[in-house]
Amino acid sequence: MSTMGIRNRPRSERRRQSTVCQPLLTFVGGTLAVMAVMATMATPAFAQTGVDPADVPDLTGVWDGGFRARPVNGPNMPWVPGENFPVLNERGLAHQSVFDEAVAPKYDCVPSASPALQYDPYMMEVTQWPDRVLVRYEKDDQVRTFWLDGRETPSNDFTVQGFSSGRYEEGALLVETTKFTFDVAGFDDYNGIPSSQQKKVTERYWREGEELRMTLTVEDPMFLREPVSYTTRWLPGPEGYKLQAYNCDPFEAGHPRKFLVPKYR
Amino acid sequence: MKTLLSISGLVLVGAVLATSVGAHHASGPFYDPEKSVEAVGTVTKFVFRNPHSFVYVDAVNADGSTTAWEVEMGASVSMSRRGWTPETIKAGDQIKVVGQPSRAPGTFGICCAELTKPDGSPLRP
Repeated sequence: MSTMGIRNRPRSERRRQSTVCQPLLTFVGGTLAVMAVMATMATPAFAQTGVDPADVPDLTGVWDGGFRARPVNGPNMPWVPGENFPVLNERGLAHQSVFDEAVAPKYDCVPSASPALQYDPYMMEVTQWPDRVLVRYEKDDQVRTFWLDGRETPSNDFTVQGFSSGRYEEGALLVETTKFTFDVAGFDDYNGIPSSQQKKVTERYWREGEELRMTLTVEDPMFLREPVSYTTRWLPGPEGYKLQAYNCDPFEAGHPRKFLVPKYR
Repeated sequence: MKTLLSISGLVLVGAVLATSVGAHHASGPFYDPEKSVEAVGTVTKFVFRNPHSFVYVDAVNADGSTTAWEVEMGASVSMSRRGWTPETIKAGDQIKVVGQPSRAPGTFGICCAELTKPDGSPLRP
């Protein structure tokens, strides 16, 4: 895996920036436009300021979160009864009691989200840019962006993957994600535990030799009495591996529903 | 070809721990891990997709009727890393399936199955 210096802008981004600027030149023309473009080009990347390159871990590459890296997810994993299983408040318990497996959004190809997405046993690819970290998940073809430029959290832009801010600190990448949409099984779809717009997910990624490790913490006062955490790892993906398209098939996603005994008639 | 629906011989598989199907969903709500069914028959279709693949098997029962089994498998994206392709199983192949039966009455799903050739030899990519 290559180490990408935080100040070295990737070639692909420089190309993209030039492409964006080209129509502007054509449209405006003249010296003012050229000066404006030069000013834009001269603007430094909105990278995290004051970070010591030694504090930037090399996370770039394809990572294997499959069966050889960790126990497979399920009703007792990664939330283990008696260990880190969440304590639900009364609202959470009420939601859980009426949860019907058949209506879980995943059976309609709604993508997995934090904190489940990270533990799904698939590959992911991490790319570190000066102003962001991109994580592509093979599961559900999802992409998350961890912004490093200090931009403000949007007030009302709730999305499946939420809004993520990141920073490097002491050799680790810290990420905070909020602005999730409500999800009837958004905390744990194996146990029918919902998550709300108040869900906050904190991740800390670091290298441990060849491994990528992460501790993830979830807070959601709407449903959880207290924050809960799990720690997991990824192993380096196979040499040259390219993430496959997931292309969730809506029919096949919902196919198993017919095998459920209906909870409600 | 025979379908050996071992309803009479329920197999207790020990401590009932719910497992997951290709890590997309738990098998427990859909399939009964305390029972085992065996179907031997002809593949009519193999659907190699995400989040689940399915192989469809027509098996002739002892009374001459046919049961159309739907055997749930893992995600194609995961299976392909183990060498599976959409052509690994073809319509017309003879196959033996042993696994957990679906819970909903009147359905013929199988999960968490071991797939072999009718003589018991391994079915591998």
